[in-house]
Amino acid sequence: MFTLITLYSTIIPISLYVSIEMIKFIQCAQFINNDLNMYHAESNTPALARTSNLNEELGQVEYIFSDKTGTLTRNLMEFFKCSIGGEIYGTGITEIEKGGAERAGVRIDDDEDKRSATAVHEKGFNFDDTRIMRGAWRNEPNPEACMEFFRCLAICHTVLPEGEETPEKITYQAASPDEAALVAAAKNFGFFFYRRTPTTVMVRESHVDRMGSMQDVAYEILNVLEFNSSTRKRQSVVCRFPNGKLVLYCKGADNVIYERLADGNYDIKKTSREHLEQFGSAGLRTLCLAYRDLSMDQYKSWNEKFVQAKSSLRDRDKKLDEVAELIEKDLILIGCTAIEDKLQEGVPACIETLSAAGIKIWVLTGDKMETAINIAYACSLVNNDTKQFIISSETDTIREAEDRGDPVEIARVIKESVKQSLRSYLEEARRSLSNTPERKLAFIIDGRCLMYALDPALRVNLLGLSLICHSVVCCRVSPLQKAQVTSLVRKGARKITLSIGDGANDVSMIQAAHVGIGISGQEGMQAVMASDFAIAQFRYLTDLLLVHGRWSYLRLCKVITYFFYKNLTFTLTQFWFTFQTGFSGQRFYDDWFQSLYNVIFTALPVIMVGLFDKDVSASLSKKYPQLYQEGIRNTFFKWKVIAVWGFFAFYQSIVFYYFTAAASQHGHGSSGKILGQWDVSTMAFTCVVVTVNLRLLMSCNSITRWHYFSVAGSIAAWFLFIFIYSAIMTSFDRQENVYFVIYVLMSTFFFYLTLILVPVIALFGDFLYLSLQRWLFPYDYQVVQEMHKDDPHEYSMIRLPERSHLSPEEARSYAISMLPRENSKHTGFAFDSPGYESFFASQQGVCVPHKPWDVARRASMKQQRQQPQRTGRS
Amino acid sequence: MNSGDAAGSSSGGSGDAGAPRRASRKPKYSKFTQQELPACKPILTPKWVISVFLLVGVIFVPIGVASLLASNKVVEIVDRYDDACVPSNVTNKLAYIQNSTISKTCRRTLKVPKDMKQPIFVYYQLNNFYQNHRRYVKSRNDQQLRDASKANETTLCDPEKTRDGMAIVPCGLIAWSTFNDTYTFQHNTNNLSIDKTDISWKSDRDHKFGSDVFPKNFQKGPLIGGKTLNESIPLSEQEDLIVWMRTAALPTFRKLYGRIYVDLKENDTITVTLDNNYNTYSFDGKKSLVLSTSTWLGGKNDFLGLAYLTVGGLCFFLAFAFTLLYLIKPRLVAYKLSYTNRIKFHR
Repeated sequence: MFTLITLYSTIIPISLYVSIEMIKFIQCAQFINNDLNMYHAESNTPALARTSNLNEELGQVEYIFSDKTGTLTRNLMEFFKCSIGGEIYGTGITEIEKGGAERAGVRIDDDEDKRSATAVHEKGFNFDDTRIMRGAWRNEPNPEACMEFFRCLAICHTVLPEGEETPEKITYQAASPDEAALVAAAKNFGFFFYRRTPTTVMVRESHVDRMGSMQDVAYEILNVLEFNSSTRKRQSVVCRFPNGKLVLYCKGADNVIYERLADGNYDIKKTSREHLEQFGSAGLRTLCLAYRDLSMDQYKSWNEKFVQAKSSLRDRDKKLDEVAELIEKDLILIGCTAIEDKLQEGVPACIETLSAAGIKIWVLTGDKMETAINIAYACSLVNNDTKQFIISSETDTIREAEDRGDPVEIARVIKESVKQSLRSYLEEARRSLSNTPERKLAFIIDGRCLMYALDPALRVNLLGLSLICHSVVCCRVSPLQKAQVTSLVRKGARKITLSIGDGANDVSMIQAAHVGIGISGQEGMQAVMASDFAIAQFRYLTDLLLVHGRWSYLRLCKVITYFFYKNLTFTLTQFWFTFQTGFSGQRFYDDWFQSLYNVIFTALPVIMVGLFDKDVSASLSKKYPQLYQEGIRNTFFKWKVIAVWGFFAFYQSIVFYYFTAAASQHGHGSSGKILGQWDVSTMAFTCVVVTVNLRLLMSCNSITRWHYFSVAGSIAAWFLFIFIYSAIMTSFDRQENVYFVIYVLMSTFFFYLTLILVPVIALFGDFLYLSLQRWLFPYDYQVVQEMHKDDPHEYSMIRLPERSHLSPEEARSYAISMLPRENSKHTGFAFDSPGYESFFASQQGVCVPHKPWDVARRASMKQQRQQPQRTGRS
Repeated sequence: MNSGDAAGSSSGGSGDAGAPRRASRKPKYSKFTQQELPACKPILTPKWVISVFLLVGVIFVPIGVASLLASNKVVEIVDRYDDACVPSNVTNKLAYIQNSTISKTCRRTLKVPKDMKQPIFVYYQLNNFYQNHRRYVKSRNDQQLRDASKANETTLCDPEKTRDGMAIVPCGLIAWSTFNDTYTFQHNTNNLSIDKTDISWKSDRDHKFGSDVFPKNFQKGPLIGGKTLNESIPLSEQEDLIVWMRTAALPTFRKLYGRIYVDLKENDTITVTLDNNYNTYSFDGKKSLVLSTSTWLGGKNDFLGLAYLTVGGLCFFLAFAFTLLYLIKPRLVAYKLSYTNRIKFHR
């Protein structure tokens, strides 16, 4: 009995494992690592596959978890546009606008050469408009407003200048890159802030009195009403002009500023509002600027209250807020600024392609909610038609509870509200899904609520809601929460997940997902060290997933199913023989045939398929991202597919066995001699080798000459082997069963007729199935194949010369990438200081200075915090 | 120091690249690594499918016809005699066949259904005889058969290894059970001579059975398995043994007995005198005598021709059906990519 069972050991051969490992290794080492499409010239970084056993999972990713800063964005803020007195300035076009225009069919040409001479592009400033550059603003309809605008930019901030006091060499140190960008903008407009003393701000103003004039003006800073991230969302400075005039400059989020504007000027307010919306939908970060003239009396009476509040010992922050409210009113709107949070190149297009591929993208960021939503807009994850479900901890009820200050109470209130909103949102989302399935849904939650939503009781609702939504944004989340969310989906939805990030704070998330991707060539190496694949740019995900991932998936599916098929076929012939040997366990094939079947006679072609099979070209893979869905749905490795292969293996084995076994009944050839058992089995084996190799050719989508070589070589190897093997007699103790067998066979016509007949009949079923399947129920890739079957071959060779040197555009982006980068830990929308780090530090009770005013102290603090990190890294 | 410098030094990658650029790590272009090897892309379009079917049909039908014609030319006489050759009064067939004292000569009359051209092949056919049983198949020793100096080599030969401590040549079950019925033929009272030379494959005679190896101690036991061998004739000339030892693949098999070089006419009768020695009664085996002519393809074998014809015909039919389908319901219906963002295209 045991002998009988061992006959079927070939059904899962060890060579399957070896072949797959080999294929995967070459896919990684040769294809992914060497792909020119994933080579980033600016940072000189090719893609890097750090592990070789996840290739096929790259082709099945359904959820991508992405960090924001450094992954989606470059963390580079640039002053991009502004609106002054109801007039928009700035001619740049954002990525998202480009995308929109291209979708609408308009080709936008932003050739660097065509830019005007006034265009300036430096760190934090990427702006061009001849109407206001170089003092031209004096000729604008509203020069006063322009002047106020520039002054506000130059005075109302908490930036520290550094270095030589010339416009070219100075650098600005700011709590957030936005602030630096605003001051840099003021500098370029001719209001050069170059020195700060404890009480004054020195500004070198050009073109104020007349064109070309330049004067240094010292503004005395009387009070700074600090920025406060959650409630105030604005910052004000009261300053005294050299001529004694008192002015309060204020900048802040549009809604808070609009609440505090003086009556009148409805036109400007209205047009500015429109501009704000326009900026917002273009993915820009906006701030409103306003000012107010103060009389001496007004100021004095207010200042007393301010000093009192500032010196109070209890609830100082609250009191300061209240005092600030007293003076930040009746403001006059000057205009608004728009800052571009520079996305990495090609991010919106990449995200769009990925969503078309059926991949859902989640942004997990430590940033504020506004910033996160803004980026979601900029990446076209969310647009104006998207229905947003927002769960935020900054609601009135929660704030009230916080004011009462009882931590238990706060927790209860938050938990309750999270619970309620989750339930109602889930219902609403389900309704929306059934009523208007086209409508995109987005779910936005902040870290604090997430903490409660991840509670086991609410987890199901959270998962349900987030799986319905097309995109999910989690803001203010800790690294741990990033990992929790990732594993929630990984375990809860049982889908293939991918995490991508660039910094140490993404490591846990990268490790939690099935596939971890690190952005290489930038900051630290932690993310890369923890990752499975490292790429230089977010946009290379398209190539990695849609091209490499998809192909790897297809190839491995093919390899595995084919292995299954060929060994099942082989083993089943043995199985049929068993019935006619009285279940004695006699082998049908010679031992050597059986051993070498997987190692030599059918080994190489299947590896060729694993390496070279391509259903559609790389560019078509990206052009039709829908094809990726076949991987997500695991179309090619379902029970159905395996059953079809199994069925044909069954059918073929019957053909092999019975057609050849029938031969032993009669004499063959004119000599009338009879064939024996080993003649029959050798003939059957010949048929199996020929058929199985031809079957592989049938299932290839592209046949290179390596396929021909390997298939012909494998069949030739069999004949070569049997010619030699059956010609020799060895002195070893072996049964000479197959001695001369092939020559005996080849002396009969019957052998040749069978050799033609059996493979054809065996493959007949497969051929019929394949042609009917393609005819009647084509797979997506087959449709695309037929659509493009007459396309000429395309080689990247053609594109190469252009790549070998840097184009002006590349040179520009190279230059940008060479600019000193902001440390990714400081993020947030315009002068919102803390990223997740200080947020969580404060949660843990560690006091982190979050007063923008204390920039100097911040800088030194930061250095201290960095010190151990750096030593740790080296 | 300030935060800016700290930021700069922490972003080491960009800092290094700002210095004289390192050697480029840009991958080299090759068609292999960029996966752009020239390839042909076979697509099973209807035209291809139809042409392949037509091609197969065109090739297979003639082959089928030729094989069938060849097979039809073969005249075959099959006569099962195991039951008929036991006297009807014998109840215990096993005892009858094992009793060596009784003469088991048996006479059969065969009628020739059609003209038979020489050579006429004489086969014996056994049913339900598992020559492919694992223990049976391995019960032989090829070295002993080939080499006189290895006469004592009897490994694997169980249970027929030795007799009274002396090695049996040829050892093993297969040799021991060699078929031992004999046939003689009479045609119109003339004895037909049976040519029993060259009934085995030449390679077996020349290489597998030694010309200096003589049978020893063979069939000397109490239990006689089958044919006894003349100890003065070397194994390479014991063709019945050689034929028998090329074991058959299936439990039903034929083996060549000899050839008759006489043309037979339709309705001739042949009388066969046979010695019914071989015991198939203990395992319900059947024995038959087969007379057959041969063609280029061999013996009677309709199967091959029918298979070719069926496949060829089926291919023609499918080619026709597909053409019809192609004409009636061409694929100009818009195809869809089945999932989101449907794409339509027309043929």
